[in-house]
Amino acid sequence: MPRPDRFRLGAGWVGAGAVAATGAVSALLLIVGGYDPFEAAGAALGGAFGSADAFLSVTLVRSIPLMLTGLAVAFAFRAGVWNIGAEGQLLAGAIAAAWVGLVGRALPAWLLLPMLLALAAFAGALWALVPALMKVRLGVGEVITTLLMSFVAIELTAFVVRGPLQEPRGVFPQTEAIAAGARLPALVPGTRLHLGVVLAVVAAVAVAWLFRQTKLGFRMRAVGASPEAARMAGKIDTGPVTLVAFLGSGALAGLAGGVQVAGVTYALYEGYSPGWGYTAIAVALLAALDPLWVLATALLFGALEAGAAAMQRDAGIPAVWAVAVQALLILAVLALDQMRRRANAGSAGV
Amino acid sequence: MIAVRARLDGVVRRFGSVEALAGASLEVRAGEVHALLGENGAGKSTLLSILGGMLRPDAGTIEVGGRQVALASPRVAWALGIGLVHQHFTLVPPLTVLENLALGRRLQPARLGRTLTRLRAEAERLVQRTGLDVRLDARVEQLAVGERQRVEILKVLLRDPSVLVLDEPTASLAPAEVASLFELLRGLAAEGRAIVLVAHKIDEVLAVADRVTILRAGRTTFSDVRSKVDAASLVRAMVGESVTDVAAAVGVVVVASGSARAAAVGVGVGASVTVDDAARRRPGGLVATLADVRMHASVGRPALEGVTLEVRRGEIVGIAGVQGNGQRELARVLSGRSLPDSGSVQLPAGVGFIPQDRTLEGLIGDFDLAENVALALHADPRFTGPAALRWDAVRAEAERVRTRFSIVASGTKAPAYALSGGNRQRLVIGRELLVASDLLVAEDPTRGLDVAATAFVHDQLRRATETSEGPGVVLISGDLDEVLALSDRLLVVSRGRLTPVPENARTREGVGALMLGDSSAAA
Repeated sequence: MPRPDRFRLGAGWVGAGAVAATGAVSALLLIVGGYDPFEAAGAALGGAFGSADAFLSVTLVRSIPLMLTGLAVAFAFRAGVWNIGAEGQLLAGAIAAAWVGLVGRALPAWLLLPMLLALAAFAGALWALVPALMKVRLGVGEVITTLLMSFVAIELTAFVVRGPLQEPRGVFPQTEAIAAGARLPALVPGTRLHLGVVLAVVAAVAVAWLFRQTKLGFRMRAVGASPEAARMAGKIDTGPVTLVAFLGSGALAGLAGGVQVAGVTYALYEGYSPGWGYTAIAVALLAALDPLWVLATALLFGALEAGAAAMQRDAGIPAVWAVAVQALLILAVLALDQMRRRANAGSAGV
Repeated sequence: MIAVRARLDGVVRRFGSVEALAGASLEVRAGEVHALLGENGAGKSTLLSILGGMLRPDAGTIEVGGRQVALASPRVAWALGIGLVHQHFTLVPPLTVLENLALGRRLQPARLGRTLTRLRAEAERLVQRTGLDVRLDARVEQLAVGERQRVEILKVLLRDPSVLVLDEPTASLAPAEVASLFELLRGLAAEGRAIVLVAHKIDEVLAVADRVTILRAGRTTFSDVRSKVDAASLVRAMVGESVTDVAAAVGVVVVASGSARAAAVGVGVGASVTVDDAARRRPGGLVATLADVRMHASVGRPALEGVTLEVRRGEIVGIAGVQGNGQRELARVLSGRSLPDSGSVQLPAGVGFIPQDRTLEGLIGDFDLAENVALALHADPRFTGPAALRWDAVRAEAERVRTRFSIVASGTKAPAYALSGGNRQRLVIGRELLVASDLLVAEDPTRGLDVAATAFVHDQLRRATETSEGPGVVLISGDLDEVLALSDRLLVVSRGRLTPVPENARTREGVGALMLGDSSAAA
């Protein structure tokens, strides 16, 4: 099985180092703020992993959109496509899912649910198609275009929940609840954990297989690692590969939106995403763009969110602390990854 | 009395283990146009960088205006009156010419308007005096290449240098632009400045220079006034006294390779001076044809024009040329990596390509050996299923390449970045030979390799073409000795055009003259 040694080993070092550094710095912050870091850690761990329900209903459920958007980001980044607009693609998927869930009431569940998920993925891909074509045809940098498309999606969401898809009374900026047949069934009875987690794991395994075993995945990795070598040594036409990376990434992010609508909220509302699509970038980078590691890092971020809520409740520490920790984690990943690159560039002796 | 403006003596400069300059000297006098000539890698640009204060010499002395100085930085060189016009433009395209002229000056934001007004007056005076045709209010991005260069020159002249240095100023100019540039340079010399320019083309040097200095392998081998030289003597000085040099160069190959055929080449050299072994070999069927191929370049004249070439099995077609004359484009068209703008291209199925830049284009550093081998095999039905790659088969093939080409690596899972330069080239060649059943295109395959690795590459190219069933090989190289020693047929690429080298011109001087675009010296 092809494993680029350096990528794996070095990347693991970055992940472990970032988590350790973040832990140390955030403990320091807590002490400075006058809190007991051990009490805080206890509350956080209790909130995230303290009981089966805490883990299944809170931590794991919060991880699911991060797993799917993290995969979306990793999918694109591995092919050298810097799609930072997973947020917008997720919202496009959520809008499509809400629409299907509302208008498809007459359809049986076995048809409605797959249709909802498929259309969500399709809408996400469609949202990525615009920057994809701009990149492949015109050479416009995708960092700007994917980001800007997210703002359009945020406004579009605000529009549809006040206009075409608003609840019948016309009071709140949200949709009615989607049809029962459009909802993802619970995975463990008595908890809020839904089937979406299985979808996320299957998607991760599928993406991992694609990268490791297939022609397409190999071409994506080659284009991502060195477009020049892919063209010259690999005789790879980078255009179609880039397009696939955009569309696949958009589809995974769109699926995340669909899964969230069908599995957790059952409705769409204004300000739908708390920034899953952006956190996803940290999730993917912390996982060194490895699809299977994305599952683990998404779980870490999910636990952080769950733990923060518990800390506020049990230890009186403001929940925004979790945002600071996330930011620290992202900074640590970026800094350590850059250090790793420098160290490797030095040892490569090129 | 003629004042010596600048004198460099015994200059040595090393980059790692490579000695770019090994005792170069240059003496520049007031009022002269001084041409600096030399083959690729002779050290011209390094010498200019030292004169411009961008590089420091490891040994040697520099005198400017009669005083020994240390040119510690470009600023110091500036202060001493040395102005360097770069080969690559350093202008900001969206800004106007005047704004570009203001760059690098001490600007106070509050006085920007006044500074620009003063600068405009200065520039206008200079334009009037020198006849430099420059529109001060045009945006640089709207200007043609020749005009941009005049802006660069104007920018340097505004500082009133006593020594004006130009690195290959004619490289991207049309003939008419070259003529007006030379007129300008003559005028500037007449003002008492010293002009130093690096040139590649003999006829241009003869047209403009008062004095010529030639670098060869980092040493100054020749320096004399224009009236005492002609095209033939310049070429001789650039490529060296042929007989001994060619024999020595080929001798290295012969000793190191140990193949019977190579020995035959060596004997041929010793006996008859010219390298001529084409008659011994009988090439097979036609594998590739280019007809009237034309390809655009990003600036200036087309990269390829009217290129027609036939390649047969079992022959090595050598293509010599000074870098930047269309080699890259030719290699890409021949290997099927690029499509030409016009003309017909017929290529076989099994094409291997050894690109010039192994680290950037030939290999992926983060990929392991097997993955790098897969770059050539991922479209081959023998190594692929419906969707998946047959990694076990690819890995087995990579292992065979590793053993056959003695690649020093821990195994096929070792990443390519961990390989040495020679081993990287072995990996590229081994991989490309796997797929080059019909045609192998090699672009500067021994660039940067040491003697043993070079011999290995040459040996592989010869072995590939041992029989008329083997692939046809196109060897594109700036290394004269290499193409002379290996080629069955030899062509020269110059300014995007291919010229066959006549049998009686298969010598260092003959080919060298053709490479420099001087057809008279070859006849």
